[in-house]
Amino acid sequence: MSLDWLDAFLVSGTFGVVEIVGLGLLLHLQVGLTRIANFGVVGFWGLGLYTFGVLYVQVDWPFGEPWQFLFSALAASLAAALAGLVVAWLIADLDSDGALVGTLGFSAIVLILATTQDQLTGGALGLGGLGFPYDLGTTKANELLWLALMTALVGLILGYVWWVHRTPYGRLLIAIGSNEPLARSMGKHTTGAKLTLFAITCGLMGLLGAMHGVMVRFLDIGSLDVGITLAALAGLILGGTARVWGAVIGVLLTVGLFDIVIQFYVPLPQEWFTQAIPVLREAVFGALLVVVLLFRPQGLLGQMRRSKLIRAMHDG
Amino acid sequence: MGDQRRSSIRVEQVQKSYAGRMVVDVDELVLGDVPIEGLLGPNGAGKTTLMRMVMNSVSPDAGRITLNSSDGSTTTLSSLPTHKMAHHGVVKSTQVITDFDQLTILDSMLLAVATTGHEFPVRPGAERSLMSANEDEIRSYLERFGFADATAIAMSAGEKKLLDILRCLLLKPSILLLDEPTAGLPDEVTAKVLEVIRELAADGTSVVIVEHDLDVIWELCDEVTFMAEGRVLMKDDPASIRANATVIEKYLGAGHG
Repeated sequence: MSLDWLDAFLVSGTFGVVEIVGLGLLLHLQVGLTRIANFGVVGFWGLGLYTFGVLYVQVDWPFGEPWQFLFSALAASLAAALAGLVVAWLIADLDSDGALVGTLGFSAIVLILATTQDQLTGGALGLGGLGFPYDLGTTKANELLWLALMTALVGLILGYVWWVHRTPYGRLLIAIGSNEPLARSMGKHTTGAKLTLFAITCGLMGLLGAMHGVMVRFLDIGSLDVGITLAALAGLILGGTARVWGAVIGVLLTVGLFDIVIQFYVPLPQEWFTQAIPVLREAVFGALLVVVLLFRPQGLLGQMRRSKLIRAMHDG
Repeated sequence: MGDQRRSSIRVEQVQKSYAGRMVVDVDELVLGDVPIEGLLGPNGAGKTTLMRMVMNSVSPDAGRITLNSSDGSTTTLSSLPTHKMAHHGVVKSTQVITDFDQLTILDSMLLAVATTGHEFPVRPGAERSLMSANEDEIRSYLERFGFADATAIAMSAGEKKLLDILRCLLLKPSILLLDEPTAGLPDEVTAKVLEVIRELAADGTSVVIVEHDLDVIWELCDEVTFMAEGRVLMKDDPASIRANATVIEKYLGAGHG
């Protein structure tokens, strides 16, 4: 099958959008429902990325693909889940400011470790040697299939988030976000629920990081800066933190606009894309956060519509 | 079940002071050994602080608070985390009006009846089994108290207050502490709430009620504990408390009794 018609950068650009939608959806469970301010998304994602990359490249695996990928990705998810558990435990009793600083600090630790442990991670020089767990003949075909697999994974995450809103578990998360002391007085082990939530969602962020590693096939500490946290947060907040589709709509309108629409369909001088656009992108996301929080803090989709959902589920 | 042994709370040598002022100083008190017990006293008598210490949301400076369950077991409440209180059957309504700002009335009620099993992060069909197991009870409460729309978020103070009491009832307490349960409720709803409290007490729950509406106390309680300045001054049947000279002097004032 010839894929000459397909721009390779379009595949990687779309992959990036799908990935950030996935991160935004997981962030929706943490911030939108349970109201725990996680500013360290890149830490959990990056821990997954680096754990995956280092295990994949540095370990002399006794078996081939796809097991090498599966084992490394599983270990990466578990590492991120464990980190999520520990971070959640540390910030469990803090207010939003404390949680924000704690999670941001965690992402800084991940960056420092990736930079300083250069014998394992390649440090500032980066680490190559990653690859797809299959071979379809051309890089473009491999990337396209990987994009399809990533889309399927994010589709599953979307399905899970949609379902959580309709379960007693989701109700518990909303209760914790709304009034944790009241939930506790009703016999709910709210700290346990927050820890479990972080283990699951941060583990999945780590899995998204491992998937990213396969796509880029190179570990680069530049990817551990605040960019991916900012992109996921800006998208989620623009779309609406409390709504299932908030992350999807918001990320499409922000990352999708910059990395797909402007990149491929707006005729601008080539040098802009290497120089001005990436910087402008971060600046616009930052400004967008400020404007949305000032004028429409509930986001484009607005508040949670719990009444409508409950009516639909239990017919009045 | 009237003759069944009730759960009760024993308060021993409990003291609590704020900024050098003793707000609670109770030598010995048993709460809940009668179906409905009233806790009465002027503002600042230490009633609410005592209730909070029972729930371990405030720690006593000294002393011990234990739960003697109807099955004969004993639990020290002052070392029990708040979220475990409800599992031991000790439930308290809130004095200040409070609610979940994102949850509907039906949500609140389903939250109260949901177990840890229902709330597992991955459990298909949990909502359906939760609803089918509790639908009759929830619907009967909804019909009885006539919420305008159970799928809406509670708006008025009265609705929130009532919802708080319903949440407590749905937790199936063995000891129910009610802090001013009827404050802010319309008369007809107050009557319904008192009726439910009576039924609950008749079914074996020990109810302890702090209330400023004296008619509620005289009408509802089997026994009344009178507190002033942090101390328990007397514990007796409502008629004796009502006629007591100290109570009249410290609380009821002239013209009552």
